[in-house]
Amino acid sequence: MTFVREDLRAVQRRIVVVLATALFVILLLFARLWLLQVVQSSQWRQMAENNRLRRIPLEAPRGTVTDVRGEIVLDNRPAYQLLLFPEEMSDEGRTVEFLARIGIAERHEVQARVDKARKTSHLPSVLADNMTWAQVAAVAAHRAEYRELEVHPATRRSLPAGPAVAHLVGQLGEVSPEQLAANPRLHPGQLVGRSGLEKSHQATLGGTPGNLVVVVDAFGRQVSSLSDEPPVPGHPLQTTLDLALQRAAAEAMAGQVGAVVALDPRDGAVRVLLSQPAFDPELFAGRLEPATWKQLVSDPLKPLNNRALQALYPPGSTIKPLYAAGALADGLRVPSSQAYCTGAVTIYGHPYRCWLRGGHGHVDLYDAIEVSCDTFFYYLARDAGIERLGAWARTFGLGSATGIGLAAEASGLVPDDAWSRRVRGQPWYGGETISVGIGQGPILTTPIQLAVAFAALVNGGTLVHPHLVPSENRGGRPLGLPADALVAVGRGMEHVVSGEHGTARRLASLPVAIGGKTGTAQVVRKVEGVRWQDLPWEQRHHALFVGYAPIGAPRLVVVVVVEHGGDAAGVAAPIAGAILARAFGPDVDSTVLSAQDGSRAGHSPPSDLTRTPDPGPRIPDPPGGGDAAP
Amino acid sequence: MRRLDLWLLAAVVVIGACAYLAQTSTSQALASSGFATRQLVWLGLGGALMLVLAFTDYRVLARFSPLFYLASVGVLLFTLVAAPLRAGTRAWLAIGTYTVQPSEFARVAAILAVAALASEHRQDRLSFPVAVRLAAVVGLPAVLVALQPDLGVALTYVPVLLAALWLGGLPWRAWGALAAGAALLAGAAWLWYLKPYQKERILTFADPSRAPYGAGYQQRQSKIAVGSGGLVGKGIGSGTQSQLRFLPAQHTDFIFAVWAEEAGFIGAGALLAAYALLIFRTFVVGLHARDRTGALIAGSVGFVVAVEVIVNVAMVTGWAPTTGITLPLMSYGGSSVLATAMALGLVLSVWRLRYANV
Repeated sequence: MTFVREDLRAVQRRIVVVLATALFVILLLFARLWLLQVVQSSQWRQMAENNRLRRIPLEAPRGTVTDVRGEIVLDNRPAYQLLLFPEEMSDEGRTVEFLARIGIAERHEVQARVDKARKTSHLPSVLADNMTWAQVAAVAAHRAEYRELEVHPATRRSLPAGPAVAHLVGQLGEVSPEQLAANPRLHPGQLVGRSGLEKSHQATLGGTPGNLVVVVDAFGRQVSSLSDEPPVPGHPLQTTLDLALQRAAAEAMAGQVGAVVALDPRDGAVRVLLSQPAFDPELFAGRLEPATWKQLVSDPLKPLNNRALQALYPPGSTIKPLYAAGALADGLRVPSSQAYCTGAVTIYGHPYRCWLRGGHGHVDLYDAIEVSCDTFFYYLARDAGIERLGAWARTFGLGSATGIGLAAEASGLVPDDAWSRRVRGQPWYGGETISVGIGQGPILTTPIQLAVAFAALVNGGTLVHPHLVPSENRGGRPLGLPADALVAVGRGMEHVVSGEHGTARRLASLPVAIGGKTGTAQVVRKVEGVRWQDLPWEQRHHALFVGYAPIGAPRLVVVVVVEHGGDAAGVAAPIAGAILARAFGPDVDSTVLSAQDGSRAGHSPPSDLTRTPDPGPRIPDPPGGGDAAP
Repeated sequence: MRRLDLWLLAAVVVIGACAYLAQTSTSQALASSGFATRQLVWLGLGGALMLVLAFTDYRVLARFSPLFYLASVGVLLFTLVAAPLRAGTRAWLAIGTYTVQPSEFARVAAILAVAALASEHRQDRLSFPVAVRLAAVVGLPAVLVALQPDLGVALTYVPVLLAALWLGGLPWRAWGALAAGAALLAGAAWLWYLKPYQKERILTFADPSRAPYGAGYQQRQSKIAVGSGGLVGKGIGSGTQSQLRFLPAQHTDFIFAVWAEEAGFIGAGALLAAYALLIFRTFVVGLHARDRTGALIAGSVGFVVAVEVIVNVAMVTGWAPTTGITLPLMSYGGSSVLATAMALGLVLSVWRLRYANV
């Protein structure tokens, strides 16, 4: 049997073609492997590391702020924040939808935050603080779908005193791109101080954020941690504030618009700094909804403004003791200098009315302060002239910022001829001098300026530097005013309260002897025969009162400004009285007491069980204090 | 031992060893301890089946190929009707506790059938009717598989037909007509058959920036795995891309990426070399075949394996779109391993009988 082998050469040729082609392509694949694994391997290895490693910024807990007795003004409480790792986001629309659905924010707001986060795509961004448990659970449950999301424990600010310290403490805000570029230790979405103490003491309170590097799997689960650089918490900040007085001020000012400043006249330590209306600091403890922000900004009462430092008010009659001191120092008047008040006086051909229609009759300098006689000061203004009035005002610090360093502080306005020519383009008009003589007209002051000015009046003539942190006291500047002048003005201010005709004699019943001065600043021109109660609110006069206590060796100066309060004696003075009564009065409040127990302060809420007898005066002596006392 | 091709066997053993090691890694990553063990069992069974087939006479099997073919088409029809819906397809039949993927076996039957058919007339040129019959023989099971729908496996029928047409000797004009027909078919598939996600895969491959995290995600992760493996790899079971499950379908379609990440260029190169050797030897068997049927069987098997290896590795290294074509013997799956082993068994049979004077 013969076997005839088939002629397979054609098939074999085709097999060779296919074989050669296959081997050639496989050779290309070898080259491909070489390229990926040898030539580019470091690049791919980096990408593999980026895949599995997550750098989680650990926010540093911000420092606590305590008041003069160690009571907590500002603290932290635990919260959960939501981090977004933008590079790992697979479907932005879906993620935004998800976050809106679980109520992180409105859809467009979530979108805005995500857009912002994408700009710094190599670092995670904080999308939300203060997540609810339901949101934490929702994100955890969908971790595999939304690998880019991470819930992280963090802290949030808590203010036990609430809105009473809102302006003082200030707000936190997301770090700006400029700040971010300037400081590599900050990370996108981090909260930094934007106003108040939070801003002025960012360096102290802020701390240093840390880092946690973790290994995650494809579903975002943390498998292990590689390195841990713990955050350094911010330093605590002890302030000169007296939270008990701050609360008393907030209570007394409830429903009013205005400001309260109280400070220790001996060294300028600020005890109370209140601005009304306030905002709820809770709103700023995390990320603010734009709608809420808009509402706050467009509120005609401007709750975000710190009126104690930023609002400008005509001082009204509260400026009279300053002029009186200036006149005595310059020898333009003596305490017994008399003026005769008929209720109206004509100067430069214009009639100027005293606030008392019938007139005060014969008044000397003491009486003029006690009864706040306008006529006395009209004559004084005429005799002194605007330049001298301005010099006196400036001596007491009016017209320039006090340098408390808390917010954009207004410098006020002490007008003179130069100012008039510069700003109004016309020379000073002498008639206006008479108005400025009773604190009306273009003269403008801030509440803190008034407090500093009165502190100088009652501390023996030292212009103190108002401060909230003891170490930041720049020290006082002696004004070189003669002691007898200050004593005379002080006597006048004591008569304001204790005198038979004193404008604030209703405060005579306070448990502590105080001095002070009322002031009413006109908003619109006075109309004869119309009671202030009958005017619409926005046309009523601002009511001012500056008080101090105890007389002899004052340890507290209180400035109260009630916008459109109408009646200084009836509205502003009682508020100051309430604060002074709280500071020096015998009625002991458990809050104040427990706050005085330094060892317990800041560690537990005040409790009735801690009630102890009053251990002494509630206004503590400043370190090295008393040197400024008369 | 001149009766068995030791080079081919050596290549299979190397690939099998790599498959086992790579699957131990995926077992660990996917916390599904069975992969490595079961793959090893399949490889063992496949090896046995391969040797059994090596010692059969492929010519006898080719004579009965219409029978196998019809049986396989019957099973595919049955699968379409009776198989439970699993992961959106009716591709698996349950036999006891095991599941079988008939499409893999039907492909071996199709290879045998077209080899027998194309060599029937002992001519160097395919006549038009024979070419049409070849297309029909491959097309029928392919369509049945596509209907399951399992596009990945259905696509692996294409090289079976191409191999038969090429080796059988299709005239150049016919190739032109075929190309036109394929273009038409592709257009029609794009319009009516492909699902959006499949289109997205192709578009994304053409333009990776299209969806860096969507359809491009798998390929990106795969390239990261391969590239980060470097020269020597991260060590078996230590690949971050596989262990942290960034790699998709790592025990099946992307098993090569697992191996490349953990064994590095040295390991991946060795594996690719083993495949090259396997493909080379299979074609060499075709060159030594005593008859046209044997040459067509070996040539077709070589062609099919080569296409699968090339397409899969190209996909894993980012040179081809994600198609669902697995890597023979490496990718997890009993049916796939056994079917490949059977095809190689036929090739060994052709080798064994290359001089036999029967």
